[in-house]
Amino acid sequence: MSPRKDGDTVEAAVAQAFVETRSEDPEAVSAREVARVRLAAGAKLKSLRRLRLFELAGALPARRELEDLFHRSTWFYNPAKERCTVRATGADAAPFSEKEALVLVVDRGLERRAPAERWWRHETGSQVEVREGVVWALGFEPGADAAREAASLAAVTDRAHGLLANPHFQAWSASAGVHPPWPWFTAPKRRAPKGDA
Amino acid sequence: MSGPRVAVVQMPGVNCEAETVRALERAGLAGEIFRWTRAARELADFAAYVLPGGFSYQDRVRAGSLAAKHPLVDALAGRADAGAPVLGICNGAQVLVEAGLVPDGGKVEVALARNRMPGRTGYFTRWVWCRVEETACVFTRGLAPGTLLPLPAAHGEGRFTSGKRGRIGALVEAAQAPLRYATPAGGLAEGFPANPNGAEAAVAGLCNRRGNVLALMPHPERALDLGQVSRGIGGEWGMKRDRALAAGGGAGFGDGPGLALFRGLALHLGVRVA
Repeated sequence: MSPRKDGDTVEAAVAQAFVETRSEDPEAVSAREVARVRLAAGAKLKSLRRLRLFELAGALPARRELEDLFHRSTWFYNPAKERCTVRATGADAAPFSEKEALVLVVDRGLERRAPAERWWRHETGSQVEVREGVVWALGFEPGADAAREAASLAAVTDRAHGLLANPHFQAWSASAGVHPPWPWFTAPKRRAPKGDA
Repeated sequence: MSGPRVAVVQMPGVNCEAETVRALERAGLAGEIFRWTRAARELADFAAYVLPGGFSYQDRVRAGSLAAKHPLVDALAGRADAGAPVLGICNGAQVLVEAGLVPDGGKVEVALARNRMPGRTGYFTRWVWCRVEETACVFTRGLAPGTLLPLPAAHGEGRFTSGKRGRIGALVEAAQAPLRYATPAGGLAEGFPANPNGAEAAVAGLCNRRGNVLALMPHPERALDLGQVSRGIGGEWGMKRDRALAAGGGAGFGDGPGLALFRGLALHLGVRVA
């Protein structure tokens, strides 16, 4: 990324917003319990969090204005119920711990959010691309091979294996820690069954 | 109610169980709601099974994905392997696909993905035409290939697709698509809204090779009576509806198009249809 000073703003190529519920997330609780009880790879799963990830690409303002724009629009999150962490540069920390394994799940070909892009253009005059996916943050008990177990829990292959993505219409990519890929959407490691179109 | 017992397997969040039981009873079967809290071994007492529509587990993670891991679904897989008929309607279809009971063998080979619709996203509901294809499917038994059934579709994730190129087409070639979206004239639906979700090869329902497990996106249990048939539906079914409604009284409760699939099940189970 090559930031450019422009008055009070910095024109950036990418920004990421991680949105998580303020209260316990029922979807993550259900997924965690099903993984623990039904799937061998989930036996050592200690925690599971679900965050919505918005990734913006285009001419973007500096962090403060970015945060304000995300806060103002219901296309991104509800500040009364959710918290939002913005990464304005790749050096910024994402809201994960170093030990958490991460799985980004994206509906292939349906990740763009046209209404959010229209809202952004209306508010700022700038044309940006907005993509949305889900990041699952997995914490495992000590001694578990977090990367391997997370990969086993990611793509469903049968009733006993996989949960977080159906690879027949979703792409997933794995990462870990506080500095996930930057950008993550535009160059994710796409995974699909052999023979994928 | 007499007749073979059919379990309507209700997971939390399912909301079409009552009308599904009514549909089975209209077809001469003894439908019974079987809640998720019951022991899986009790499923052995039933001749057939229906996973009805709704939002099992609130569609958490992905529609059908959590219910697919439930021990009742393992038991259903065993009963299906033994030849017992299993019908999944809408959310029930999503469960069968996520569980790998459709198309076969327990391996997840297809998906019911988010609808692809021009200029819109999300949930979509509309009466659609479904064309019966020549297959071994239990539920279309007694229906001639080419028969057109108008049925209501109502879903946000109903697009049959596969990450394996050509897989859906191969399943159609293998006679595992007993119902496909069609035009009112009987041609294959080529686009929205006749194909309401962008399903590959206009597939509305996919069954296993043996034909005893069917994952179906439209709702036959919402089309039991002629009076339920949408005003937008013309042709033979539209005329039947208009005649029934003009006759007044209970005529609107004459047999609707959705009943045909439950009658197919009854026929398979040896129920004499009047």
